This record gives sequence, C-alpha cells and structure tokens, in this order.
Amino acid sequence: MTDVKQEEITKVIVISSDKVLPVDAAMRIYESEFPVTVKETCFGLIVTGPAEEVLAVTEEIRKLDKNHIFVKDRGFPAGDERRCRAVRGGGPRPGFHFLREEVQMLSAIGTALDELEAKEPVKSPAKKDKLKVSELERIIEAEIAR
Amino acid sequence: MAKVFIYPVNSLILADLVERFGHKPLAVMNQVREKVTKISLDSPPINITPEDPKIGLRYAAVEVPPGVRGRMALIGPLIEDAEAAIIVSDPPTNFGCVGCNRTNELMKYLVRSKDIPILELRYPEAEEYAQEFVYKIVAFLESLPREEE
Amino acid sequence: MGDKTGVVKIALVSCGSEYSGVQPEFEAAAEKVNAKFVYPEIDVAGLDSIGKEFGLEVASGDLLLMMARAKAVVEGTTQVDGVFITTCFRCAEGAIVRNEVRRYIHRYSDLPVISYSFTERTTSGTLLTRLEALTTVARRRHLLARETQTGLTAGIDSGSTTTKAVVMKDNEIIGSGWVPTTKVLESAEEAYSLALKEAGVSRDEIQALGTTGYGRFLVGEHFNARLIQEEITVNSKGAVYLADIQKGPATVIDIGGMDNKAISVDDGIPGMFTMGGICAGASGRFFEMISKRLGVDITELGALAVKGMQEKVTMNSYCIVFGIQSLVNSLAKGALPEDVAAAACYSVVEQIFEQQLQEVDVKEPLILVGGSSLIEGVPKALGDLLKIDVLVPKNSHMIGAVGAALLASGYVEE
Repeated sequence: MTDVKQEEITKVIVISSDKVLPVDAAMRIYESEFPVTVKETCFGLIVTGPAEEVLAVTEEIRKLDKNHIFVKDRGFPAGDERRCRAVRGGGPRPGFHFLREEVQMLSAIGTALDELEAKEPVKSPAKKDKLKVSELERIIEAEIAR
Repeated sequence: MAKVFIYPVNSLILADLVERFGHKPLAVMNQVREKVTKISLDSPPINITPEDPKIGLRYAAVEVPPGVRGRMALIGPLIEDAEAAIIVSDPPTNFGCVGCNRTNELMKYLVRSKDIPILELRYPEAEEYAQEFVYKIVAFLESLPREEE
Repeated sequence: MGDKTGVVKIALVSCGSEYSGVQPEFEAAAEKVNAKFVYPEIDVAGLDSIGKEFGLEVASGDLLLMMARAKAVVEGTTQVDGVFITTCFRCAEGAIVRNEVRRYIHRYSDLPVISYSFTERTTSGTLLTRLEALTTVARRRHLLARETQTGLTAGIDSGSTTTKAVVMKDNEIIGSGWVPTTKVLESAEEAYSLALKEAGVSRDEIQALGTTGYGRFLVGEHFNARLIQEEITVNSKGAVYLADIQKGPATVIDIGGMDNKAISVDDGIPGMFTMGGICAGASGRFFEMISKRLGVDITELGALAVKGMQEKVTMNSYCIVFGIQSLVNSLAKGALPEDVAAAACYSVVEQIFEQQLQEVDVKEPLILVGGSSLIEGVPKALGDLLKIDVLVPKNSHMIGAVGAALLASGYVEE
C-alpha cells in the first residue's frame, strides 16, 4: 500500500500539444525541484504531492501551452498499486476508457479555446436582477384582484 | 466562485473547463481521494465499505441495489454541495463510478431537482461540434456568480 | 485448504462489486482457496458494438464491460481457470446480463463458472464454498475423474441438520450412520462410530477419510482426513456414482437441511451451480416444521404427501414464516393433512424451480439427492413441475458421505 499523507493531492495532466511533449513537462518539474512525485504516462503526467506544491506545478505546466494542456484531479496517488494493472490482475481501471475517449477530443477542445481567446471574450448573458419584494407584492395583489 | 457539479462525474474536459474559468469542479475524484487516503484502509480498492451502501440510503431506499447506494455515497454529497451543474448527455463510455445507469439516472434527477443553474448539452459527436460545446460551457461558467469579486 | 498446486486465476466479471462494499470479502474468499481475481483485458474499440454483438443493448457501461470481459475470456485473450460472474442483488438489468454472460461462457468454453448476486452484507464465508468448488474443478480434474471406490475408505458429511457417515470397501457401502447434528464433532463421532460398527472395522483400518458439509474443516482436522472438500463437487460425484450415470450430462438437485444446491454436471464434473435459496422455506427445515405441525414423523411425511393433492391447498413458502402461516390457515379451514403435506412438497420444489433452476441448464437425467429426497412427495412434485422423470438413487441421503469416501479412495493408491 502506498503511504499517503492526508493533505497530499494528485493531478492528472494531459498534454495535447504540438509544442510540448510529456517528457518536456516532466523535465520542467524535475528542474524546478518541487517536492512532488511525477509519473509519466502515455497521455501526460500524474503529479502527487502537497496540495500547494501540486497546484503550483500544474499552473507552471499549464503555462507551457495553456489551451492544450488539461488538468483534472485524481483520487489515487501516482503509482498506487491498488490501481496498478499488474497488481490488480490485468485490465485497465474503469476510468481509463473514458479518459482515452476524452483525450481524442482534446485537440478540438484546444482549438476551440484558441478561437475563443482570439475573439471577444464570451459575453455572459445579461444577468437579470432579482425581483424586488415590493414589486412581487404588487404583482400578487394585481393577480388576486383580477 | 461557484461549486459546479459535473456529469460525467469523472470528466477531464469538464473538470478542466470549470477550473480554467474560475470555478470549483465538484468531481468524484476528490471524493475517491478522501476515501483512499484515509489512514485506515480497510476495503480496497476504493475503500467503499459495507457502511457506504448504508450511507447511500439517504438517497435511495433499501430495495435499491448496493452498487447504486455505494456509488451514491460517493456522489450524493457532491450533489448536495452543488451551486451549479453541467450535465453532458451521451458520453462515449461510462464505466466505474458512472458504470451503472440506474445510479446515473438517480444522480441526474437529484441535480435537476435542485434549484440551481444547470447547463445540459450533448457530448460532441465529432470534432466540429467541439467549438459549440466549449462556447456553451464557457458562457454558462461566465454567467455564474463569483462571490469573492 | 492450502493447496500447493498453484494459484487459480479467476476472471472477475462484475458490474460494481468495488462500489458495493463487498470487494474485500470477495478477495478474502479467493485468498482462502489460493485463487486470484483477474480483470480481463478488453478491446476498447469493441465496446461500442459489444451490446449489439451480444444482442443485449443495456444502458449501463459496466454491464457492457462484463460482456467484453466474457468475450476476452472465451476467445482466450485472457487466460483464466474459472469465471466468477456477479452483479447486485435486486438489479433487473444486471440479472439479465449476468445470466446471459453465464450462458455465453458455458456455451463457448469449458471453464467452470459461478454466478452470484450480492448484497452489501455478502460475506467471504458465503462465497467460500462456491469459490472452493470453482477452484477444485479448475485444479483437481484428475481427482474428479475417479469413478470407482477402491480399498477401505470412509466419508463424513457434517451437514447443518444431520451428520452422515459411510464406510466403503471395494466399491460397496459396508456401513453407515445418520444422526441429527447437535455439536459438530460429537455428532460426527457418533455417525462415524455407527458406520464403523456396522462395517465391522476399526478406525485404524480406514485407509483414507474424506469430509464434506458445513463442518468439514473442523471434522476433517479432528479425524485427520485426507480430503476436506466442499459439497458441490463431492455431491456431484456422489450423485452420478450412486445413480450410475458417470458419463454425459446430468442435473443434480440436493435439498439440504438449510440450503439447496442445483448443479449442472458433465461427466461427473460440476459446471454451473447455484447454492441456497432466499429462505429456509425452500429446504428440509420447512419439512421438519410441517411434520411437527401435522403431528407425523418426518419419515411419514412423504407417504402422506403422495396421497394428497397439492392443488387443494394454497401454500407459498417463499418465506418460511409465510409458509407456516398458510399451513395454519389451511388447517383451520379444514384442509386434509395429506393435501397440506403435498402442498408443502410442491411449494419447496416450486421455490427451487423459481430461484435456482433458472440459473442452471436442466439436462436429463435429473438426480434428486439429500435427506428431503426420501420424502416421496418431493420427487413426485418435482417431476410434475418439470414434466420429467426424477431419479432418486438408493442411499440418496448419504450422498455427501459416499462422495467423500469415493474421492478419498483416490489417496489410497498413492
């Protein structure tokens, strides 16, 4: 069983970039000497460590190619044997299949983010203010009077 | 910053976009983390113990199978915390935490029963739909309140 | 158990045991029989079409995953020695897939399969007998090939309700003992002594002893048995041996004191099997209670039942309490004891049909064994219900003890 401290977190960093390879990203982390555990995977990296450090590292990596590097949390620490195929007796963990599907969509998502950035920022739909209580009262009274 | 429930609950794309646009994704991974990194590990692999299906009774009655209630013990608290939600229908695969469709029906129902802003959209069938997919999600996220500001 | 013949690999084909709090119980049971669960590698690209391919388009992804894993096992992409198919109890979608996946594996491979529906209360103890049978079939086929008893051997079946013992010599039963189970060891001692006395041999002369039944470990250890074996494989062997149908297909139904077994057998080796019903209302215990209420000895219940007509009394022993309630009600309305006895036999058989025979493919001949097979009304009701002839071999109540003595003789020649 991997020894884990309560406050440690793990992030999956998926790299769908023409400019950055997972190995580049990993090198960046090694050079930065952040006290985190890094595991290279076919999609990118898995980073485990104290929350603050992991967040800083992921921010750093994201900057390498902001719209083409994607991050999500992971429940299990990097290399946890409960999720390791060899220990578990073959077959990938269930979440792997969906991640694989999503990874195929990432280049299109990245392009969309690029386009979004190039254009005007997306306008949020005009926010409606809440109805004032006095106004609501007026409506209710008008309805009742009908 | 709003706490946004995402469906599929383990989606990389949704979790990333929510965080990228300044909100907090309520993803199942964090729940799993809490389970698997507890000091006393007594029910590998994901430490769902026989107690969890009992916790799940909060969301579903005893005649509902344990697999549904065990999953709800993980996901139910996220729904309770949610201040907004993005529900993507027809994801390409659904395994593990979202491998049981009865659970998925129940969790989406519970989200929809809450009085919170919800964006419902389809998983892009092809790359050309990805742009619209992203734009809709971003517009929705931008419309959510950011309390700290 | 501690079999040193290597780890048995069992494919776990499940839709969410990990999410139900039962996975550690599964693992614990597997470890006890020196087995290991594996998760067959699957072709992700094939997942989109697996539902169509199977002809079962279910909504849940994990059920599709079950089909894909079954396919990997059948096609040999993943090498395993047995398959454990399991879904949540009370899930219709899961039950449909579980059954069809079981049929599929049974049809396209020779692998032993168990199918089981779990609740969060399922314990490793419940699974142990099943997994033990699965691993025995996987690792001890040579032992199960034995068709005749040789030398001087004995078998003790320490059941939940009664303890049986036999002494066998050169393929003949030369002594037997049958006593109610009170204290496991004392009852075994008593039954064994009776069998030895009748056979006229001393304990030291016995060349090999086999034990089976609920108390097999305790009794086996106490008497230093050569073979300690669960009742699925032992009873399968015992049934085809006693019925003298050692080759080809057969179905064995064993109505025990507390639970029932339905086993689909081929050449004496169990393939599919199910154990246990929902409630003791479908077992020998129910007959005991009925006899007591009717004021007859259990040995007279069968003859009484054969005289009666079950149609005249409504009885449903899905639950033993409801079963007794309908008994009391019908007696109060003036029903005849023979009709009540017949209805009780029919109700038990109906439970076995509804709850267990759906999970094994019934192939003739059907061999009925266990203490309840001696209640004549039971084979009659079963035959009426299934519209086939039911075979009750001689000494059918000694099934476990005979099977154990037979298999134990495999150790005599060594």
